[in-house]
Amino acid sequence: MASVVLSEAEKLYIVHGVQEDLRVDGRGCEDYRCAEVETDVVSNTSGSARVKLGETDILVGIKAEMGTPKLEKPDEGYLEFFVDCSSNSPELEGRGGEELGTDIANTLYRIFSCENSVDLKSLCINPKEHCWVLYVDVLLLECGGNIFDAISIAVKAALFNTRIPKVRVLEDEEGTKEIELSDDPYDCIRLNIDEVPCVVTLSKIGYRHVVDATLQEEACSLASLLISVTSKGAITSMKKVGKGSLDPESIFEMMETGQRVGKSLHIALQKILDEEENLGTSRPKVGFLG
Amino acid sequence: MLTSRTFVKRTRAGAVVKVVREHYLRDDIACGAAACRLCPRAAPGGGSAPGLEARPGGPGSSLCPGPHFLLPDTNLLLHQIDILEDPVIKNVIVLQTVLQEVRNRSAPVYKRIRDLIQNPEKHFYSFTNEHHRDTYIEQKRGETSNDRNDRAIRVAVKWYNEHLKKIEDEEKTQVIFLTNDRINKEKALEEGITAYTCEEYIKSLTANPELVDRLACVSDEGKEIEGGKIIFPEHIPLSKLQQGIKSGIYLQGTYRANRENYLEATVWVHGDAEENKEIIVQGLKHLNRAIHEDVVAVELLAKDEWVAPSSVVLQDDGQNEENIENEEEKENILKTSINKDMLRPTGRVVGIIKRNWRPYCGMLSKSQIKEARRHLFTPADRRIPRIRIETRQADALEGQRIIVAIDGWPRNSRYPNGHFVKNLGSAGDKETETEVLLLEHDVPHQAFSQAVLSFLPKMPWSITEEDMKHREDLRHLNVCSVDPPGCTDIDDALHCREIGNGNLEVGVHIADVSHFIRPGNALDEESVKRGTTVYLCEKRIDMVPELLSSNLCSLRSNVDRLAFSCIWEMNHKAEILKTRFTKSIINSRASLTYAEAQMRIDSATMNDDITTSLRGLNKLAKILKKKRIDNGALTLASPEVRFHMDSETHDPIDLQTKELKETNSMVEEFMLLANISVAQKIYDEFPEFALLRKHPAPPPSNYDILVKAAKSKNLEIKTDSAKALAESLDKAESPTFPYLNTLLRILTTRCMMQAVYFCSGMDNDFHHYGLASPIYTHFTSPIRRYADIIVHRLLAVAIGADSTYPDLTDKHKLAEMCKNLNYRHKMAQYAQRASVAFHTQLFFKTKGVVNEDAYILFVRKNAIVVLIPRYGLEGTVFFEEKDKPTPKLEYNSEVPSLTVEDTTLCVFDKVKVNVMLDDSNIQHQKMRMVLVEPKILGNDMHASLSAEASSKEEPEKKKMRQK
Repeated sequence: MASVVLSEAEKLYIVHGVQEDLRVDGRGCEDYRCAEVETDVVSNTSGSARVKLGETDILVGIKAEMGTPKLEKPDEGYLEFFVDCSSNSPELEGRGGEELGTDIANTLYRIFSCENSVDLKSLCINPKEHCWVLYVDVLLLECGGNIFDAISIAVKAALFNTRIPKVRVLEDEEGTKEIELSDDPYDCIRLNIDEVPCVVTLSKIGYRHVVDATLQEEACSLASLLISVTSKGAITSMKKVGKGSLDPESIFEMMETGQRVGKSLHIALQKILDEEENLGTSRPKVGFLG
Repeated sequence: MLTSRTFVKRTRAGAVVKVVREHYLRDDIACGAAACRLCPRAAPGGGSAPGLEARPGGPGSSLCPGPHFLLPDTNLLLHQIDILEDPVIKNVIVLQTVLQEVRNRSAPVYKRIRDLIQNPEKHFYSFTNEHHRDTYIEQKRGETSNDRNDRAIRVAVKWYNEHLKKIEDEEKTQVIFLTNDRINKEKALEEGITAYTCEEYIKSLTANPELVDRLACVSDEGKEIEGGKIIFPEHIPLSKLQQGIKSGIYLQGTYRANRENYLEATVWVHGDAEENKEIIVQGLKHLNRAIHEDVVAVELLAKDEWVAPSSVVLQDDGQNEENIENEEEKENILKTSINKDMLRPTGRVVGIIKRNWRPYCGMLSKSQIKEARRHLFTPADRRIPRIRIETRQADALEGQRIIVAIDGWPRNSRYPNGHFVKNLGSAGDKETETEVLLLEHDVPHQAFSQAVLSFLPKMPWSITEEDMKHREDLRHLNVCSVDPPGCTDIDDALHCREIGNGNLEVGVHIADVSHFIRPGNALDEESVKRGTTVYLCEKRIDMVPELLSSNLCSLRSNVDRLAFSCIWEMNHKAEILKTRFTKSIINSRASLTYAEAQMRIDSATMNDDITTSLRGLNKLAKILKKKRIDNGALTLASPEVRFHMDSETHDPIDLQTKELKETNSMVEEFMLLANISVAQKIYDEFPEFALLRKHPAPPPSNYDILVKAAKSKNLEIKTDSAKALAESLDKAESPTFPYLNTLLRILTTRCMMQAVYFCSGMDNDFHHYGLASPIYTHFTSPIRRYADIIVHRLLAVAIGADSTYPDLTDKHKLAEMCKNLNYRHKMAQYAQRASVAFHTQLFFKTKGVVNEDAYILFVRKNAIVVLIPRYGLEGTVFFEEKDKPTPKLEYNSEVPSLTVEDTTLCVFDKVKVNVMLDDSNIQHQKMRMVLVEPKILGNDMHASLSAEASSKEEPEKKKMRQK
């Protein structure tokens, strides 16, 4: 991951600031940076979203394709994640970003492994034979710290935006099944994203922890905790990142903060998404030129 | 200004995919009106497309007297294209939305509309509304794509009306929206658009009442034209049919109606299945509204319901369509006397997969009711049912040959519904009848288009240095051509000379048509479409333009001509020692007729070079012929006649059977030899792409009738091989009955299969049964057959005289071409026969009743087929007449013979018949034959009747109808 080089004095400045609940850019310890969310930015996907969180810039596209259900879950569809960080920085170009990409993708698999995060049963077309597979492609456009949170927000927004064409399974007397596609483009399935979790990354800086750390702050942090929280505040998964250690007491503290921050994050995101939805097709699109 | 928008479409390509296309909207699309000064002048993309007139005069409509443009919707265009093609209808705006929908639904209609738009006189304009900034609309939520298109059309009409208002002109031009869709019309009226149904508008054209006839009668969404009993079972929808075909419940095949019996048809099942290849369908309900050539799905009936093909001749002449019981009676006739061995797979039509309707030629049978507007139309082709049309000009159309198109066939109607398309002229008129038979046999006979003619060589034409380079100069040879009299398309010439070593050099020189027709250009495409030249009695429909067929390619005497030569070195036993092919230049010394050539050979006084050459050829030809016959080649006979035409009126004044001279067979022999040599050469060179001709051996069962017939005369015909057949035919002579042999040969011809072209890479049976040759092709008549042109090209490539091109070595394309050529040849043959039949009728028209000797050729259940050798005329003698008691008929299929009352008629019996032209039914004028000898009890009436003039028959028929 792209990193910044900070001098000892700079680090000390940041650590002392955090201690006083005053961060370099003026935020408090539990404040997020200003986030921009736009959905439906890539027209040839089933759903897409772009999220800018400070300097961090993420694009997520979701493509729904027909596939066969997994053997162990014959009546469910599934999600596939792929993360591409090649456009991020020179050192991640080509295959350099592969390791990071797989790492992030694995984290996403873990976050979504929780049973009810997405209603996978609604993705089933006919058991054992056809289901929808949602290919979630994450593109890291720019890394300005706290990519996990940004990615999770973008994925949630993209899932909200996803429209899967409605299909009907026709069965005749001999049992041969044929799939018929509705010819009305507005006739489609929307996903329920109420239970889709968002990631809140808490970085331990000094004795305190902060959310939404910038690159500089990440450089000062030895260990951080990734918590995926649903809108109801339930923690679905947790992961520790970084080479430092965390004592049990601060872990509990961080979980509490994570739950609290996560809840308000969900509320804010949902509000934005609903607002955007209500604008309908007349919404002026910002896209990549805005 | 260029606005770009994306719209989303999903297609089904195996999986579900989301397709995104960029859709550019522009503001520089012209409205097409000539008076419009607001729109940019030149159409984008250049070219001056014919637009709408400045002051659309058009026909006066009582609904909208002012100037107006018409704007039809998709369905209207699809169904009423016939009317739009009428020259009266002008100034029509065709929207892009409409055009695209038409394209998706019917390719032929799409092509016709494109042609209309191209025609500058029609003033049709296609407006690209989907790309116009103000008329493009997006599909709304909950709106089907059909609704969306309807809305797009309405938006365009609205835009047009507003746009045209801006044009400063004294008279405001209006746009009238034509739609037959009730809901769409209502919506349009709500939005303030002037909208009419097609019928309303056409009826308002008071100056052109004849147009109303051409309206297609399409039943409006479930609204049946009339009540009445449901006659036919419902057709099963296509999706179900396809499933059924997949699972084998139904069989898919081509429906072929029986020419002689309107209640019977066969369905030729597609695919390679050995059994149930041919399914019989019998009875009106089982035929279930299928029409000849349709692709249908049939369901096999249980075995105990199977029937045998009936040998009854039945014609649909019922005027009264209510009388279904009558039909059932007739159906019962079919089922009588079922022979257990003759049972064939029988089925019923359950649905139509693809209609193959085309416009049909025929005549109107005027309704008996005065002032009636509904009439029945009787197509010239007996396999097509009668069609009900609505017309107000029945009086004018009576006795005229007209074209009618089918619109549909509802379940409660005995006949399909159609509409009048075109009047060809009065029946019996020579021009009209020729047109009819060309149309009916699908012979392309329009004049060659400008594009085709542009590929002809510029006149005056001469052989250039460039041409000389790759050609052998054979102008010094004594080449001559021998053809029938009056032949202008001479494609072959011959020579024969002694060469030093005691051997003979024989050359066959064929017109080098492939030098003039280069692959792929319009001329080539037109020729391949035509496939063959069609020779009618008084007319020739050329395959290539006349400049080539009668001049540049024709090997006329005393001019230098390009040729493709096949030159053999032979010894005096006609054994080929060397074969050589070359492109050449020849100068024919003489164009002879068969008679002239024969005269030269026979006359002892003539000893010039040409005559010696001819004598040499004749001698060799005799040896070649003997060799061929020894190999088992068949000599068959078919009665062929030639008409002597009156030079002024072109009416036939006399007819004679064709006489064959020795020279005929001489030319034929060398043509065969050339064809075989070339076939061998191109097959050696291109084993995968050689275009060859084969004549499959007929299945043994084909000969049944011949063997049985011969047996009745105590003769044995062996059919195990071509050689055995040829020998037994030679032996089958009867001293008391010299014509018997010819009759047997005629019958043998009927047993044969059709010879066909094929591509060597797609088949492995090359044998030519009739000629007893292992390989054969057509090389010698490139002016009149397209197959020969391909063979020329292949041979030219093989000897390095020409370059190849991709399509020549594509066996699938070649196979496709063979299919077309075979079809065209078959159709040309039928057209020729029909032309002869028509001229025979003309001939007998003036003759009155003629008493002639005839021989029985076939025996049917209720009729006999006789041949009159003097005229080469074949006809059917019926023993059942509607107005007379049916004589007792007894049919014996073993002999075969028919016993009428107490007289037994057997195959090959010599009889005397009265021949006359039966013109009581102008629809199908036909030769009527009545048996005079042997006299049949109760049949005397015929004889006495035939003695009178045929004019007496008419009142009698009328009387009968009123019953």
